[in-house]
Amino acid sequence: MSEKGSPQAILTSFLTCISRIRKRGAREMNFPGLQKMSRMLLLLFLCTSVLPIAGCWDRKEINDVLLVSAVGIDKKNDKIEISIQIVVPKATGGGQQSISGGGGGGGGGVNPTFVNSATGITIADAIAKLQEQISRKIFWGQMKVLIFGEELAKEGIREHVDYLARHPQSRLRLHVFVSKGKAADILEVLPPLEKSSAESARELALSQFGLNKTMKELLQMLKGEAGAAALPRIEEVPPTTGGEKDHTTVRLNGTAVFKKDKMVGYVNDELTRGILWLRNEIKRATVTIEPSETKGRVSLELIRAKTELIPQIEHGTWKMTLKAVAEDDVVQNATNLDMLNPSVLKMLQKEAKKDLENRVYLALKKVQKGMKADIFGFAEAFHRKYPKQWAAAKDRWDQIFPNVEVKVDATVYIHRPGVSTESPALPKNEVQQ
Amino acid sequence: MIEKGKISASQMGIMMYPTIVATAILWVPEATATRAGRDMWISPILASLTGFLSVYLAVRLHRLYPKETIIQYSEHIVGRILGKGIGFVYLLFFLQLDWSILREYGELMVGQFLPRTPMFVVLGSMLLVCAAAVRGGVEVLGRAAQYFVPLFILVFGMISLMLFPDLKPVNMLPVMEKGILPAIKGAVEPLKWFGEFIVISFMLPFLTDRERGMTWGMITVIATMLTMVVINLLVLWLFGEITASLTYPYVEAVRYISIADFLEHIESLVMAIWVAGTFIKIGVLYYVLVLGTAQWLNLSDYRPLVYPIGMLLVITCMWPRPNLAELAIYLKYIAPVIGIIIQTLLPFLLLMIALIRKRVTNGGKAVQEG
Repeated sequence: MSEKGSPQAILTSFLTCISRIRKRGAREMNFPGLQKMSRMLLLLFLCTSVLPIAGCWDRKEINDVLLVSAVGIDKKNDKIEISIQIVVPKATGGGQQSISGGGGGGGGGVNPTFVNSATGITIADAIAKLQEQISRKIFWGQMKVLIFGEELAKEGIREHVDYLARHPQSRLRLHVFVSKGKAADILEVLPPLEKSSAESARELALSQFGLNKTMKELLQMLKGEAGAAALPRIEEVPPTTGGEKDHTTVRLNGTAVFKKDKMVGYVNDELTRGILWLRNEIKRATVTIEPSETKGRVSLELIRAKTELIPQIEHGTWKMTLKAVAEDDVVQNATNLDMLNPSVLKMLQKEAKKDLENRVYLALKKVQKGMKADIFGFAEAFHRKYPKQWAAAKDRWDQIFPNVEVKVDATVYIHRPGVSTESPALPKNEVQQ
Repeated sequence: MIEKGKISASQMGIMMYPTIVATAILWVPEATATRAGRDMWISPILASLTGFLSVYLAVRLHRLYPKETIIQYSEHIVGRILGKGIGFVYLLFFLQLDWSILREYGELMVGQFLPRTPMFVVLGSMLLVCAAAVRGGVEVLGRAAQYFVPLFILVFGMISLMLFPDLKPVNMLPVMEKGILPAIKGAVEPLKWFGEFIVISFMLPFLTDRERGMTWGMITVIATMLTMVVINLLVLWLFGEITASLTYPYVEAVRYISIADFLEHIESLVMAIWVAGTFIKIGVLYYVLVLGTAQWLNLSDYRPLVYPIGMLLVITCMWPRPNLAELAIYLKYIAPVIGIIIQTLLPFLLLMIALIRKRVTNGGKAVQEG
């Protein structure tokens, strides 16, 4: 908006003027034309008033705005390096995109995203420096992914989270990851399938094979009584055939465990499933079991799962029971078992139950005993059921937690055998009856 | 009477609903969460008692003086000089109420959406629209409310439904672990909002169906209370412990909505509706202020006062309390105290005196006071 006079003052006088004319026109009925004229004036005024109200001083044209799809934060010596993944608007035509940076867009095709980085002492400082390098105004409203570099995560993330939780454009539904290595490297990946590596990361998180944590949940965990947090860990997957960066993809692999706001360790993919069971966040999983009675393996796919943490305090010992119910389907049968035989199914259910419990115990061993970080929500569960005892013991939780006795009580139902009964690729006489 | 328009009792209720709720949805969740924690949803229920009381007081006083507003009958109750004094206190109170609302609106607009636009432009344009409505009188405000409130409720209901997949009701447990005290503490701030129901004192004389004034007043209090409880529950179920650290939890909740990857970023829709609600709120309080001033000065028309008072509002808005932190302190500690004294205690005293005087006069011992 160019005119910086006081539009309001003009407006006020204008309105009074119009109403005066209208009143006079109404009073003196021999001037009907005047009333008509004032109506026209009003209409004209209303139409023109639309022009300056398109956002006042904060008006932003789409071609002056730079859309950030993801942000990565790394440690660089004793400073912060912030990298943003920028969406290149294709509609503006490929030829004009000469500013492409880290992504390295060569030749005729323009990469859908590129990465720009800057260093500073805080995020705000780094972002200010970043803005200096970029011709367009950075817009954070479309940002969907935040990645912390591993090194930075080990030093603590609280102060950096603050900027993103405070910025009016950023959203609490921001998917948060911890990268293996540098966060900027993940942003630079140009996956063949999705628009950007951020988009693939987000889709992967949503598929819920691993953890799926948004900014809101991260803040809740950081603020929570347990004093621990867990974030999904993301890493690059180099192309299998050996190629360029644009055939690289990303994948979620395991969980980064935080105590307070500092990363203390890493749990691999298999144990992550145990963590998911404990947090009641498991949605999809494929379990392969080896029945002891026969050769070969059976794979089950999880359809529905529900878990519940039941806390218990008995004579001063804190106990926790995990009640888990899983409903599975058979997806592969590499044994000679007949999947329509109830006793076979019963046996499989028992095996699957054992597998599930085992997985949870392994995760517990590593996280509860090893890292001593309560990322399972035990603190909350105890607080809810035993508010009084909790209030007394809350300050000692760090000592209590590793000694909480956990029992896992799982039930697995196998509902359907898929569309074949016994393995259709197996000669009839080899099927075990 | 200065105001020639007429509204129905239901229109009054519809007008009062956004007058209370429009700003309450922004400030009440944070305020109650800070003091009441997980019991934040109980606080509005406790606070609504003042709402019922205010409506009751306003209606009882109205029945004694059916054609007058609180500015006028306070003169009849406690005499001319003291009455004018009370009237002046009310005018000052509504002035500060109106500019604090205007300022809250400005803070949100500038803070969340238009950081580089001068506050004056944001406030001035809002006030100009309100001025046009106020000049139209109570009927215009009533019609405008009738138009906006259903939209408001529709959007609010839609938002609540869309938040459903992300809600975790366990966040509210354990209920009342430290007794009822935190919930009572949390109720201190919403008191101010429910106290604002005394505003109906300025509408009751213009009702076409006076006998239903009480009913609709009470219905509105209940609707307001339920809205606040639902909003508090929504943000509590969504955010749990971090509710208290968000400036506007409900706005954040709306921004959190994401359905099937495409139904997201809908806060602009909510803001549009919210601005409409705030328009009603500022309009009603502005109207009350202008009408009250005209009655206090015994003017025959209130219209000439609309623009001058509008100017005054914008100026008072711009000048004290330079930042949001101080505004928040004011809203937390000062406003509830002033609110309860002026909105509830003063009408209560007026009613008591009026009833005693009536009994005294009816008893034959007509003692005239100065």
